[in-house]
Amino acid sequence: MAVHSQRVQTQSPEPGMTAVAVTDEIATTGAERTPKKGRRPADGRSLGARSAPYLLLLPAIAATVFLLGWPLLKIAVVSFQNLNKRQFIQHLTEWNGFANYTEQLGSSEFWTITLRTVVFTAVNVVLIMVFGSLIGLLLDRLGKRMRLALSVALLLAWAMPIVAATTVYTWLFDQHYGVVNWFLDKLGWHSMADFSWTSGEYSTFFVVILLIVWQSIPFVAFNTYAGLTTIPKELYEAARMDGAGSFKVFGSVIFPILKPFFLATTFLEVIWVFKSFTQVYLINKGGPDGLTRTLPVHAFLEGFGAQRFGVGSAIAVLTILMLSLLMAYYFRIILKQEDEL
Amino acid sequence: MKRQLIAAVGVAAMVVGLAACGSDGKSDDSKSGSSSAAKNFDGKTLTVWLMDGSAPKGWEDSVKADFTAAYPGAKLDIQTQKWNGIGQKVTAALSEGSVDVLEIGNTQTAGYAATGGLMDITKDKANVGGADWAANLNESSTLDGKQYAAPWYFTNRVVTYNKDIWGKAGITTAPKTLDEFYADLDKVKTVQGVTDPLYMPGQEWYAYFGLLTSEGGKFAKKDGDKWAGGLSSPEAQKAFETYKKLQSYSATAPKDKDEATPQQKDVFAKGNIGTIIGLGWEIPKPEELSADKIGYFPLPGKTADKPSSVFLGGSNLAIAQQTKNPELAKGFLKIAMSDKNEGLMAGAGLIPNKTSLNSQVVGDFAKAALPASANGATTPNVPTWSNVENEPNPIKDFLTAALTGDYAAAAKKADDEIAKRLNQKQ
Repeated sequence: MAVHSQRVQTQSPEPGMTAVAVTDEIATTGAERTPKKGRRPADGRSLGARSAPYLLLLPAIAATVFLLGWPLLKIAVVSFQNLNKRQFIQHLTEWNGFANYTEQLGSSEFWTITLRTVVFTAVNVVLIMVFGSLIGLLLDRLGKRMRLALSVALLLAWAMPIVAATTVYTWLFDQHYGVVNWFLDKLGWHSMADFSWTSGEYSTFFVVILLIVWQSIPFVAFNTYAGLTTIPKELYEAARMDGAGSFKVFGSVIFPILKPFFLATTFLEVIWVFKSFTQVYLINKGGPDGLTRTLPVHAFLEGFGAQRFGVGSAIAVLTILMLSLLMAYYFRIILKQEDEL
Repeated sequence: MKRQLIAAVGVAAMVVGLAACGSDGKSDDSKSGSSSAAKNFDGKTLTVWLMDGSAPKGWEDSVKADFTAAYPGAKLDIQTQKWNGIGQKVTAALSEGSVDVLEIGNTQTAGYAATGGLMDITKDKANVGGADWAANLNESSTLDGKQYAAPWYFTNRVVTYNKDIWGKAGITTAPKTLDEFYADLDKVKTVQGVTDPLYMPGQEWYAYFGLLTSEGGKFAKKDGDKWAGGLSSPEAQKAFETYKKLQSYSATAPKDKDEATPQQKDVFAKGNIGTIIGLGWEIPKPEELSADKIGYFPLPGKTADKPSSVFLGGSNLAIAQQTKNPELAKGFLKIAMSDKNEGLMAGAGLIPNKTSLNSQVVGDFAKAALPASANGATTPNVPTWSNVENEPNPIKDFLTAALTGDYAAAAKKADDEIAKRLNQKQ
């Protein structure tokens, strides 16, 4: 979800975002690897027939390399340069070694932002997974008509472009004309009448998190529902016969069966939330006073805002490395599971 | 492309006709000069970037008319740019050479001058009318003694007060000294329903800048070939005492926010605030508080002879180093800086670049802003200055820290950060 529209959104030469998107590609190729595993014994087919799959893969690989690999390479190169306004305007190339990296790794601001990003991601992902799964379970139990209504509602939330959704949220939470403040005031909470949501760190994060969770729930809900339809009804019946309650059914039947799905979805959400830029930036530009800066926003503000393109690229590369570490952990689990099967 | 070509040919034909007319006229010497100029600029286009909301009504038409008269055959393409993301856009344009003349904020000019993107116009200064530009307004257009831009227009903050509230307090004349101002604020405080005699959030660093300049201090000073922060100086501390005193009249203003969060004009609109220190457009909507209920005067100084200093905000016009039409660009600058066109800026309530045009300044706000502008100043003229203003701005943090805690520690911390940012590699 988020990732697709986001990639379209960042067609502009925005190094941080484009490059981070690469990690998703890794995720997808990783997932696609499964069917390939049962290797076919080399039969007597012609060379052409044997190379056909690779030829068919070629356009996709070429597109990936061109659209994702090239910007990634550029970012890596720029991150080793001292590239500011002056160098940019005069077309100078000044190699800088690891200076951009040491500057970031040695600054307390970078680590504060990293920690903030990690906490921000954790809060979002927990909320998304809990509410997404609950709605998925609800979809499974609902009657035909209500299920359709809920599915349509979820689809609409899902289909809304990120920028449009963010704009709607900024209006919902507008200080003077926002419907949220109006409603809270009507409820008798008069101090909220002119409450400025973007003046504080936590109130800004509240709006951003609400927005991201709202946008991400449909993906998890639909996946949970799809997973649930594969569980034979007899399993539930058997569990009920043994006296299991709802929680027990979830813990002993649903969760073990859907575990691979929960794992994959959680990791995808981690990636998407970790690198979510549009929502955080558009709500309050990482403000007030940079207190809601997350890593992608930091990379953008340092790179483009302060026009220190080398430094911005270094932050983007560091972000990619962090996500890669996470992904390595994910792959380890996946590979282990495959071995078990 | 084709249409442009046709237009160019058409214009060229007209110009040749004009030149022909000119040549059979009487005074050959002056006319031949202009006609040869016209030939040179046939079909050329001068691209000018102005910021959204800068040029007042009528200015563009007037400049275009003058330009066409001076350079027949050349086309003037004035494009209005949005403020959002302008830094990157300007950098890209200067890199590609896609703009000839551009408006640059006065605190940004030195930074762009140092990039090599702006043309050195030191030799042309007098020719474009720079002989009598006010020195303090022109300072931001220069770097290391060279002229890189022409000062265009300026404005500064003044005391903006609610006439009803001040009337109820029984005040009839504007204060002439800071002590009188404090006495007035004490009176305003007693008016029923007033929460803040003066609403000034703790991080109103532009106000502090004015007070600092009045004391003869600076945010940063050059120490050898390195820059050092100036907040630990005795001048800075004296200015801060005044700032703290003024801020103490703000009961509801947050100490850890600037004037934009929340927008002070929105707070002022509620009618329970006696005074703010703001810019000309920082006034409530007419339906909230009508304009005739709002009065202005410059923030007084310690003595009655001159008001407190102010931060001069404004814009300069610069020529891109990569311009393909340097002559046209300089000609445009000369036209834009002419008394006639610069006078239009004054007529729109802005402060013009020379004192001889001050009499043309229009509006209550601008008339209050004018006396303060005379001893106004801009931020230190350092290419890396914009680093300091990047959020989190260390000066804002310093003000909050000093208002709520120990001055010396806060000043030391901010000075270190200012020095670090100013000395950053370019």
